[in-house]
Amino acid sequence: MLTYVARRVLVAVPTIFGVATVIFLLVRLLPGDPARTIAGVLASQADVERIRHQFGFDQPLYVQYVTYIVHLLTGDLGISTRTGAPVREEILTRLPYTLELAAISTVISVLLGVTLGMIAATRRGSPLDLMISALAVFGLSMPVYWLGLMLIILFSIQLHAFPAAGAQDPLGFVLPSITLAMFSLALVARQARSAMLEVLGQDYVRTARAKGAPMRRVLAKHALRNALLPVMTVIGLQFGALIGGAVLTETVFSWPGVGRLLVDSIFSRDYAVVQGVVLMLAVGFIIVNLLVDLLYAYVDPRIRYS
Amino acid sequence: MSIPALDTADGLLDLTSPEIGAQTAGGRFWSKLRRSPSALAGLGILGVYIVLALLGPLVAPFDPGHDILREQFLPISSLHFLGTDDLGRDEFLMIVYGARYTLLLGFFAVAIGLFAGLPLGAISGYFGGWVDLLVQRVTDVLLSFPGILLALALVAGLGVGLRNVIISVGISSIPIFTRLVRASALSIRELPYVEAARALGVPHWLILLRHVIPNSLAPVIVQATLQLGAAILVAAGLGFLGLGVQKPTPEWGSMLGEARTYIFTDANLVTLPGLAIFGAVLAFNLVGDGLRDALDPRLK
Amino acid sequence: MPISKLAAFAALVVAVVACGNGGAGTTSTTGTKHGGTLTVAIGIDPDTLDPAAQTTTTASQIVDMMVERLYTMDANGATQPQLASDVPKVSSDGLTYTVPLRTGVKFSDGSPFNAAAAKQGLDRLLNPGTFKTQPGVLSVIDSVTATDDKTLAIKLKSAFAPFVAALTQTNSAILSPASLTQQGNTAAQVKVPVGTGPYVMKERVNGDHITLAANKDYWGSQKPNYDTQNIKIVPDDPSREALIRSGGADVIVAPPLSDLPALSQDSNLKVLKAKSDRTLQIIFNTVSTSQPLLQKPEVRQALNYAVNKDEIIKNVMFGNAVPLDAPMSKTLFGYCSVGTYAFDPAKAKSMLQAAGASGMTIKLGSPTGRYPQDIKVATAVASYLHDVGITVQGPQTSDWPTYLGKVNVPPAQAAFDAHFLGWAPAYLDASQQFEQFRPDRIPPKGLETSYYSNPTVTDLINKAAGEVDQQKRKDQYCQASKQVWQDAPWIFLYNQSFPIVYTAKVTGVSAFPNEKFDTRFASPA
Repeated sequence: MLTYVARRVLVAVPTIFGVATVIFLLVRLLPGDPARTIAGVLASQADVERIRHQFGFDQPLYVQYVTYIVHLLTGDLGISTRTGAPVREEILTRLPYTLELAAISTVISVLLGVTLGMIAATRRGSPLDLMISALAVFGLSMPVYWLGLMLIILFSIQLHAFPAAGAQDPLGFVLPSITLAMFSLALVARQARSAMLEVLGQDYVRTARAKGAPMRRVLAKHALRNALLPVMTVIGLQFGALIGGAVLTETVFSWPGVGRLLVDSIFSRDYAVVQGVVLMLAVGFIIVNLLVDLLYAYVDPRIRYS
Repeated sequence: MSIPALDTADGLLDLTSPEIGAQTAGGRFWSKLRRSPSALAGLGILGVYIVLALLGPLVAPFDPGHDILREQFLPISSLHFLGTDDLGRDEFLMIVYGARYTLLLGFFAVAIGLFAGLPLGAISGYFGGWVDLLVQRVTDVLLSFPGILLALALVAGLGVGLRNVIISVGISSIPIFTRLVRASALSIRELPYVEAARALGVPHWLILLRHVIPNSLAPVIVQATLQLGAAILVAAGLGFLGLGVQKPTPEWGSMLGEARTYIFTDANLVTLPGLAIFGAVLAFNLVGDGLRDALDPRLK
Repeated sequence: MPISKLAAFAALVVAVVACGNGGAGTTSTTGTKHGGTLTVAIGIDPDTLDPAAQTTTTASQIVDMMVERLYTMDANGATQPQLASDVPKVSSDGLTYTVPLRTGVKFSDGSPFNAAAAKQGLDRLLNPGTFKTQPGVLSVIDSVTATDDKTLAIKLKSAFAPFVAALTQTNSAILSPASLTQQGNTAAQVKVPVGTGPYVMKERVNGDHITLAANKDYWGSQKPNYDTQNIKIVPDDPSREALIRSGGADVIVAPPLSDLPALSQDSNLKVLKAKSDRTLQIIFNTVSTSQPLLQKPEVRQALNYAVNKDEIIKNVMFGNAVPLDAPMSKTLFGYCSVGTYAFDPAKAKSMLQAAGASGMTIKLGSPTGRYPQDIKVATAVASYLHDVGITVQGPQTSDWPTYLGKVNVPPAQAAFDAHFLGWAPAYLDASQQFEQFRPDRIPPKGLETSYYSNPTVTDLINKAAGEVDQQKRKDQYCQASKQVWQDAPWIFLYNQSFPIVYTAKVTGVSAFPNEKFDTRFASPA
């Protein structure tokens, strides 16, 4: 078990390094002059050059790269060219907002999703199953931002129930969380249903039922535990969908999270922030998946010995 | 009706009878698919989209140089099937042309993913060793960019526009296919008949082409169908953020993003592209699900 | 929490008492209501609130609520003394400006405003060590001296006629010297600006909101009436509209233009179409080698006749713009009306034919999302050009930084034959607009992306730059404008307005003619 853990963690390191390099190069490919973008249209050439020098854009590429990696190793993500604040501070002030939405969405999607999936599986073929399955496919197919816009029209403008934008209002998190949860909910529900179906089709379950055990006990003792494995994998995977959805949801609801920070930084050529946010999100994704894998290996011994 | 015995000469000869058809693997597949109402619905929706996409240039040539500003925001009428947009262009025409670009975008992006991911995954899984290790690490890096993030980063690096969106979304789907095919290849290479083929001296590339890849196609087809829907969502998301297909090329995501500002003036401009995206992705998901059910031997 | 509540309460009490007394100033404040919070929704998160690093009006308008400068502009754009007490005395060679300063004014942290503080403010702007500082034209300053506690002597490197107007820019604003070591500020980088203004910064959540509290000791005759002003960052324009319609905001800036007619009809809302100095135009590459016909002024004039600008203003800008009758907006000093290019496609066609330009091809470029309706306007222009037989490639578009990178290039690398761009001077003087019409500003030296060069015009601009006689300056600019209008390096489209919407519960909302709202002295209705 320990070697498995060590192996997985070790593999993660070059991956993170690879991600950092890829994003560094990608961001440098961005067309447009970053110094001019920062200085603005009305700035004189002298001011633009001074800013170029102040931020080190005039250095050769490999120098910039080495500086970047060295700083990264000490946890220094650089300075935002837009605000002048350290990138770490920019990200950390916004991270709680994204985490708030992500956490609530995950809770909704896991609790509701597993429940719905189980119900659908145990009543396979019934109208209820069809409805849940249909809703799941709908949820997977709906563009997140469209749903958000529709919710704003209905709940903010027509019903005045929730705020249309911003995080100051205490109820501000409701609509964005629901919007974000939709895709994950559908994903988890489907996976739970399919995993549960597979388990219910197993011989030992049929045996238990044949022996007269009530469905509920069968579910609790056998089905749930065995079905949980693929569901856990999906929870890890849906984290990725969550991040992508967060970018769009935060834009629609003017929510001050890291998703919006990323989009804004791309538009203002704030290299350091783009690098920092993407790296952080990728690392988060790697860690979540690592944890899920480890959990998987802990629960299912077959994997450990492979 | 008795089941014809396939191991007799009589049974094999009567290949046209429907009962016979239902006994072959391919026949089983199609009859299962036919029996799934949701898959059929998905195919039906897709059919409508494809017809619309082909219909476009035949009905009216797309000419961005002819806006009629006086006819902005017209409601649905017999003249304008879905009304007009903010520059007086017929909205139905915009949606139809959007179909071409959106569907094309999806197909080409998934094609890129397949053409790169299939061979990569097959080679990686079949040969193992350092090739596998290298491909695995690269795939890891690509897969570490969750969802839209990789496409976002690529578009940020390559620049916006239809071509770059296709490339970005395509590249972000390569690792998915690579992983899928690799998993299949890993198990296929252990099969006895493959070992036998190697023993007989059949060259590797022939084995890959004849056995490994064809036998890993089932999950790949399913994933490709689902990936079509995902690609459209990602591209539309980029368009919505303003980082995708640029005007005047019509694409549903960009249309939705631009129409956002008109949400109070003419909500149709927001609803229609949104519905169009939703319908296409739904169709692909339904068909993909149907395929998966039809191909899955366990759910007889 | 409790401390700031106490402060707010104290401010309220003081405000009520001060109102009751009528104040020491000349403007009576009796009858003006006080108290409460004003919520304002804007579209861009300010990158920095440091006055020296200001590049956008969105950020500067917030800074203006807290920090003041020697001179400011009033609602009509005229230069008025703010922390100066009167107009400066200018030496006969135009190199020395003696500025008398207001006395008895304190910064919001209690320290006194005096010449030393003013000197430090300007020095800071000119110091290259200050983070992202952009002195711009103010780098013409050679030295600043505090001759005594209430007089400032500014020496210039060369005569600069619009110097006082240039001092109205936010980047010359004066911070409390004592505050440069407090609240996380350093002399090089200021996060919390402390000035003499009617509001002070209370809280900032990046990307979400900035909260300002009233400065109970504000020196001016007009006083801040709201205890707090809460500035929300809402980048989405329909979201801002949704906010004001659902009661989440009292004032918003730039709603979706297409909704302005409907908003004007709403009895609970008021629409203010503030004047702006921003002109929007299609800029020709006047030295284009890919389309040499554009080098002929007759061709460019013809294209001006081809575009129906009134229809664009009405249907694409939804009435939120004013037609141009000069190469600059009416708000600038030095403006004079020079003519029109009325919509006349027949004339355009015949002029094109006479010049041998019928059916020519033009590559058009436009940004997306930089100016209101930018790509839509460019698309409409393409359609009008199409109607007179021109083949238009595009409008090709991309996001702003990419687009800027494509147009801000020397002539040899020009990507477009014509491109859409806006120009908003930093201060309301014609010299700033003429940056667009002088060949010594051809990229990379500046942003004259038309590469236009007419020695008559250049001569006039140079004379006007140092001309001390204001009337003579005006005439010189007027003459230059007439010539530019004739040479038509642009399709002169329109001068956009700056729409502000506020609820009937608020009064006293105004604006400056350089796209800044002014809610400093707003009050509950």
